[in-house]
Amino acid sequence: MFGKKRVAIVGAGVTLFRRNLKETGKELSYHAAKMALEQAGMELRDIQSVVMGTAPDAFDGVHMKGEYLADGAGAYHKPYTRVFVGGGTGVFAPLAGWWHVASGQFDTCLVVCEEKMSSCYPHPQYAFTTIFDPVLERPIGMNLIWIFALEMNRYMHKHNIKKEDIALVSVKNKRNALDNPIAQLAANITVEDVLNSEVMAWPVQRLDVSPTSDGAAAAVLVSEDVAKEVTDNPIWIDGVGWCIDSTQWTNRDLYYPDYVEYAARMAYKMAGIKNPPKEIDVAEPYDPFDYKELHHMEGLLLCKKGEAPKLTREGVTQRDGDLPTCPSGGLLGCGNPIAAAGMMKVCEIFWQLRGEAGKRQVPGDLRTGVAQAWGDLMQYGSVIVLRR
Amino acid sequence: MSLEKITNPFDARHWIGHMEAEYRYTLGIAGERFFKEIKENERIMGVKCPKCEVVFVPPRLYCEKCFAKLEEWVDVGKRGEVYTYTIATIDIDGKRLEKPQIYALIKFDGACGGLIHRIGETEKVYIGMKVEAVFKPPSERKASINDIAYFKPAE
Ligand SMILES: [Zn+2]
Repeated sequence: MFGKKRVAIVGAGVTLFRRNLKETGKELSYHAAKMALEQAGMELRDIQSVVMGTAPDAFDGVHMKGEYLADGAGAYHKPYTRVFVGGGTGVFAPLAGWWHVASGQFDTCLVVCEEKMSSCYPHPQYAFTTIFDPVLERPIGMNLIWIFALEMNRYMHKHNIKKEDIALVSVKNKRNALDNPIAQLAANITVEDVLNSEVMAWPVQRLDVSPTSDGAAAAVLVSEDVAKEVTDNPIWIDGVGWCIDSTQWTNRDLYYPDYVEYAARMAYKMAGIKNPPKEIDVAEPYDPFDYKELHHMEGLLLCKKGEAPKLTREGVTQRDGDLPTCPSGGLLGCGNPIAAAGMMKVCEIFWQLRGEAGKRQVPGDLRTGVAQAWGDLMQYGSVIVLRR
Repeated sequence: MSLEKITNPFDARHWIGHMEAEYRYTLGIAGERFFKEIKENERIMGVKCPKCEVVFVPPRLYCEKCFAKLEEWVDVGKRGEVYTYTIATIDIDGKRLEKPQIYALIKFDGACGGLIHRIGETEKVYIGMKVEAVFKPPSERKASINDIAYFKPAE
């Protein structure tokens, strides 16, 4: 065990993910936090510390967004921290919650993640234009879709991967999302639908991409002592890992996410996992684009480099396969309110391990699951291993 | 729960506001020299870490691997290779571009890193294609990355 105390998740909550919600970011945070507390059978007064995960201020359009959202996350008069590592935030926030409790400083920590991307109009893409180097890249007119297209193209080139195989991820995740009541873009689509969708920046097409969304997700983290009092069914945080690659994304290989591997190795070492494909029963790799699920499966060491498309084609990653990935429907099916989307993956693994995933339930005796998010300028990996 | 779907975002009662701010970004110590070389000498420079034996393009003040201060500047030449590319067909608002635009990550022989830039004078592009920088006329240069107009095929 690492840290002074073992940490468990005892409750989780996720709001609807939608393109436009009436609720403010504070109200979304409140809904998710309240659901997590209710599942834990706890009240706000039982919470000793609060962690908020939320992505760039420019989405909600409020500078000091952490402070703005604090009351919705239940932070009034409590030790409170906002953490932010871009798209990696959703899995990083529960890691920050973990160290609050594992350090022995607090027995309980409420972790809330929120994003309200619809505030930025006509399209939140605008908020992404200022994430690039102001001198080297912005004068060229960089656009987020392009850099993913550059990465996807390199990945395809390196392993000779066909677009048809990548499209299967979108088909699978959108179909999985049909069973998820929060989902924004659940659908039965075909590989042809993906290949015929609008080209945005070759090789990226419309149906390769997750949508922008509003939403929130939350979980209650507690020490082992408290866990024993409040539940018979705690889910343990047995591994945590995070890592950043070169901030000069032009320095990187692009075809392989080293930083995810380093984060995964850190988490697996802590969890005592030696053979990830054998020991992990269910995974939620980060899937804002279909190729990213494949990329991240490889970075998470769930298969060899370049092998993820083959596993997908063979059905291994389906809900009833040997290594189910994104049974929630992922970001491609559920939507992508950045930080909330990563946290939704952690909530999904929590529910899967508890056998509470309803129609989405992966069959079998699930013991170990992993969730991962990815962010900043394609260089940040955050990984969490959960166990029953 | 009151969460509900809205198809037209303006159906929800709202207030329109802005987060406006203008910025003046300095090029930095390494950046000033890098862009001066482009503007005045049509040279693309890198900087070498003697300890790691890596040449970084674009150049920087320090090595991210060992934290050495970098002072050994080297000319990496105007020619590079397409490491990966994209063909953009829509702009940032989702509107269709009149003409697709090729953007590529161009790497230089023996150097770590590279430059993101436009590819011009061709509609064909592939990974591994040799390309060469085309500079704007001296009078139009501003010590910016756009002093390079684009990269053209060099084969
Ligand atoms: Zn060095």
